[in-house]
Amino acid sequence: MYSYSIKTLDELKEFLYRAMQLEHATIPPYLTALYSIKSGVNQDATQVLRVIVVEEMLHLTIAANILNAIGGTPDLVRPDFVVSYPAALPDGETDFKVSIQAFGRDALATFLKIERPAQRPEHLVGNGLIYRKTPAHITALASHPRHEDLHFYSIGEFYSTIVEGIKYLEAEAHGAGTTIFIGDSSRQITSEYYYSGGGELFPVTDLKSALEAIELIIEQGEGDGGGIYDDDDHELAHYYRFEELVKGRYYQKGDQPGHPTGPQLQVDWEGAYPIKENLKVGDIFEGTELREAAIAFNTRYGEFLQLLTRAYNGQPSLLLEAVPMMFEFRNMILELIRNPLPKHPGKNGSPTYEIPGGIKQPAVTRQAEVNA
Amino acid sequence: MLFPLESAIRAEAKTVAESDDYDIVIVGSGISGAIIAKQAAEAGKRVLILEAGTGANVTLAGYDNLLTTFYSAASKDNQSPFPVNANAAMPRSPQLRKLQAGETDSSSYIVQSGPYVSDTVYTRIFGGTTMHWEAKTPRLLRSDFKTRTLFGQGLDWPLSFEEVEEDYHLAEREIGVSANVEDQQYLGQTFPNDYVFPMRGLPLSYLDQQVNKGIEGTSVELYDKTYPLKVRPYPQGRNSIPNPAYDGGKGYRPIGAVDTHQVEEGGRCQGNTNCVPLCPVQARYHSGKTLAKAFAVNGKRGERLVELLPQAVASKVNIDPDSGKVRSLEVKIYKDPASPAHETITVKGKVFVLAAGAIETARLMLASGLRSTSGLVGRNLMDHAYLLNWALMPEICGTMRGTSSTGGIVDLRDGPFRERQAAFAIDIHNDGWGWATGAPTSDLLELVDDRNLYGADLRHGMINQVSRQLLLAFMIEVMPVESNRIAVDPQYTDALGNMRPILSFTVPEYTMKGAAYGRQFARTVFTRLGAQDHTRYDPGDFGYVAYEGQGYAIRGGNHLAGTHIMGTTKTNSVVDKNQRSWDHENLYLVGGGSMPTIGTANVTLTLAAMCFRSGRDILKSLH
Repeated sequence: MYSYSIKTLDELKEFLYRAMQLEHATIPPYLTALYSIKSGVNQDATQVLRVIVVEEMLHLTIAANILNAIGGTPDLVRPDFVVSYPAALPDGETDFKVSIQAFGRDALATFLKIERPAQRPEHLVGNGLIYRKTPAHITALASHPRHEDLHFYSIGEFYSTIVEGIKYLEAEAHGAGTTIFIGDSSRQITSEYYYSGGGELFPVTDLKSALEAIELIIEQGEGDGGGIYDDDDHELAHYYRFEELVKGRYYQKGDQPGHPTGPQLQVDWEGAYPIKENLKVGDIFEGTELREAAIAFNTRYGEFLQLLTRAYNGQPSLLLEAVPMMFEFRNMILELIRNPLPKHPGKNGSPTYEIPGGIKQPAVTRQAEVNA
Repeated sequence: MLFPLESAIRAEAKTVAESDDYDIVIVGSGISGAIIAKQAAEAGKRVLILEAGTGANVTLAGYDNLLTTFYSAASKDNQSPFPVNANAAMPRSPQLRKLQAGETDSSSYIVQSGPYVSDTVYTRIFGGTTMHWEAKTPRLLRSDFKTRTLFGQGLDWPLSFEEVEEDYHLAEREIGVSANVEDQQYLGQTFPNDYVFPMRGLPLSYLDQQVNKGIEGTSVELYDKTYPLKVRPYPQGRNSIPNPAYDGGKGYRPIGAVDTHQVEEGGRCQGNTNCVPLCPVQARYHSGKTLAKAFAVNGKRGERLVELLPQAVASKVNIDPDSGKVRSLEVKIYKDPASPAHETITVKGKVFVLAAGAIETARLMLASGLRSTSGLVGRNLMDHAYLLNWALMPEICGTMRGTSSTGGIVDLRDGPFRERQAAFAIDIHNDGWGWATGAPTSDLLELVDDRNLYGADLRHGMINQVSRQLLLAFMIEVMPVESNRIAVDPQYTDALGNMRPILSFTVPEYTMKGAAYGRQFARTVFTRLGAQDHTRYDPGDFGYVAYEGQGYAIRGGNHLAGTHIMGTTKTNSVVDKNQRSWDHENLYLVGGGSMPTIGTANVTLTLAAMCFRSGRDILKSLH
């Protein structure tokens, strides 16, 4: 037990909140890159990104299931839930920044870092957390709630800490004749409400299912212990899917990491709209339609998170309402991305993901409740 | 994994020609061929599937290319996603024109010899017509299996509903039907106590609900019997919410698609309105989903048991004159859809299955010059006769929301009136007047050209006009008539020199009587809804039929059946109740062509159920 271990249930809940925040944080960059691709080009890249966005949403939901399983309250409308981009992620001894940017070589380099399998080298094992080098005002994802000035070596290490924490607290509870898995099972999101989303969604009710859930998140991202496929050899891990785009070639079964030997694929590195990186509403002229569109998107996205929060808090059927909202996002994002940004020659607009607090309940959801 | 499958499953023509150990050779990769291939592979049999199309859409990229073709096509008819391929040509409705009396039109793939011109279509690509079907999956009613006995009309099946029921369950599982049992319990349809469909029923559209509001609690009288009216949901072959109670509580897991990646294995229905011709997210079932499972089955030595040979057009069935058994198939393999250049190979197997759809299967049999004891090959061609009725609802009611058709008025699917006139089911179309008038393009042209609208007025005009559109499509029963038929003639051939189908069809009196009543029925419904009838049938329409002084434009439903009809003896039918040819012991003619009647149910579910039966019979014959 090193000093950064999870020791209380409240701390575990906070860690799981941060896991949800982390899983969500990858969605805006991937979604923006996906929609920045011009239509008719980059079919392979489009598929790769779309599949990964969907799987990140699955991970978000899995994290919510684990939090619910231990009696926590998923909250996607807490003011710090959506990070301000760029945000920092652990990258071994240092960290790196995740930005909202167009599809291209830079974006892909970042995405590879996000999904990179990272285990501590032998000589650093057991050395504790690492001091942050990024300025304090930059959100550090997957950080330790008690040690905001430190960061984990990798996302994998962040999740390992959670796994150890769950095991420790459950063993402790077990010793006292009880369990930490006291959550209301009706709050679990099952494949009834979320399927074909890049994996099977199962209820988390005990230690075994909780550990399996975390395992699924890790394997889909980084792969299984360095292999290119996840555990059942069914799917390529995200890292290797992004790598396929960089290398211009598909992986096939039997391939070694870094050496895909399948058919070639084409990537048009110029085939995306040149959006302004990490745009903020404040950068857009007041009174312009583009600014209105950016604000409208942020408002709607806030309503979406509100809807998810309620879905994860005992109303899983509300997830069905999220589907048409995702269509709205596509249209709203395209409106931003395909239009030039005034005073920034050669740059286009972009969603800013500055999500306002205090979102009112959207009309569509009230209707859904009446129907339910 | 995101990786093209085709290299793994595509067979080489040369290897195929040299192979003599196929247990089963199947012509066609539609739902019939797919079900039999999967069943056979699971029993360890070696299967070859011949597909006339290029097979390009077996991959996700290929499927997406079809979508791109559709999105960019000027004509959005139900064949518009599918590239022109003269070597595997297919009928297409915009190519049709009205025939003069006695005239034959050979300008499109199906030679129309009249008197009625049918716009019926089917799709000759990987996945067959399930690539463009609407995916409504009602069962036939009990009475539909014995219309001769009950109503003195049509033919009785050599099977009862009870004998088919278990296979309906299998077909509903394979397709992954979404429906609620309680919605389907009408007109004597019953279900075992614990039966649930694989997925929960899709909700009725807002338009359906508005129509229901206007008619629920009202009724119509027909030959002294009262029929209460309401809008009922259709069972559908598209993904909704998997029912956790399915399979004794194990639940149902929607799987399988053209690509092996889960996200593309059929998403949940998103309410895209272009289900026909092509679902953008593969929520709608197509036989590629069944084939993906079949391709994944390995034999004892790890070899794949099911192979696909694309660009392979079966051209002749060779019979051993002594045994009467099929010896081989002659298959033309083309290198390029743009060129008729081809090589001809001979394919051998133990059992042969023709699963190319009612028209192509009959065409191949006739073109092979095979003897038929009953003389019925190609005869008794059936398709539902559709009569469209369209009106403007008094208020905006959300037209263009939801899948093509979620509900309908189906209580006149059965009744004693069937002694005198055809039954019908009425589909409420969520996609507006498109089928009838070409809306919404036609609305846009009218608002711009005739009414000079632009800007906000144009936008509001479009919303006001399109989102009030109600189209009631009457799907009217057609009984088997021997003179309605497919024939061949050496003077009409395709690019590869294969004889094309010649279609002769008259809409039977029984059906027209149902159509005439249907028109009255539509007027009654429109009046109750306060909707303004805009229906108009143009005498210049290729499907125009005059009946008792009134004109009607009849459309084909693409629910083809009857051309190798099933029966009790070799003199009254082409196939037995297992769809085995009476004349050729190792030949199965499967699909809608075997159906003796089609009632008021879309044919796919029933023909899928029949294929499970045939698959078992084939496996028995191989032992």
